Amino acid sequence: MSEFSNALSVSSSGLRAQAQRLRHVAENIANADTPGYRRKTVAFAAAGPGPETGGVSPGPVRLDRGPLREIYDPAHPLADATGHYKGSNVNLMIEMADAREAQRSYEANLKMFSQAREMSSGLMELLRR
Amino acid sequence: MLEEIDLFRLSHAMARHAGARQAVVAQNMAHADTPGYAARDIAPFSAYLGGTAGFAPRATRPGHLNGSHAGIAPGFAPRIDRTATRDPNGNSVALETEMLRAVEVRRQHNRALAIWRSGLGVLRAAIGRN
Repeated sequence: MSEFSNALSVSSSGLRAQAQRLRHVAENIANADTPGYRRKTVAFAAAGPGPETGGVSPGPVRLDRGPLREIYDPAHPLADATGHYKGSNVNLMIEMADAREAQRSYEANLKMFSQAREMSSGLMELLRR
Repeated sequence: MLEEIDLFRLSHAMARHAGARQAVVAQNMAHADTPGYAARDIAPFSAYLGGTAGFAPRATRPGHLNGSHAGIAPGFAPRIDRTATRDPNGNSVALETEMLRAVEVRRQHNRALAIWRSGLGVLRAAIGRN
């Protein structure tokens, strides 16, 4: 049984991590037009003190150090002398690709979760009858 | 009690192997996007059978088949899969391979349970209850 409960907890940690990643993607997309916004990235790392606890944890949230977009709009309140202001460094295409990847991994984890559940309930089925 | 019959011992070991491998596959899936993570795998169940003689599961260490149940089953040690190709960030998990392994594990587990159940049916028939 403990293998199954271990598999379930590892899968749920994966689900949690992917959900947080998807949330940051949503934040980035929502702030695509916010002046001065830097996109947030999160790199996953193995959870727990030992390397073999198995779970995954979302690491610290980092800000993308890439250059901010220069947008020409002299009428904008933040525009400098040349008529430019700094927009965000969110690239919608990258965010969409990231969201799709997170979704795919989320589904894979969900599948593993339900499979471990099915296997353990099949074991329980032996006791009935 | 039932462990003394070879058939039950074998299917018991088979189901435990499937459970341990399922845990490893789930771990690989969870780490599908972790930089630097190397995919792990447990050798197929046939690798743990002691040749053709007796067709009995081989205990690779004392207390293997009835041993402690902490974490991943002892005896079925996961190894790093060195044949997998690595992504630029050092991750070597391929979701498709893991899916394939997961299906294999589920079929093995179902098979082990079916063997156990039918063995139990034989025993029940022997004591005259169906």
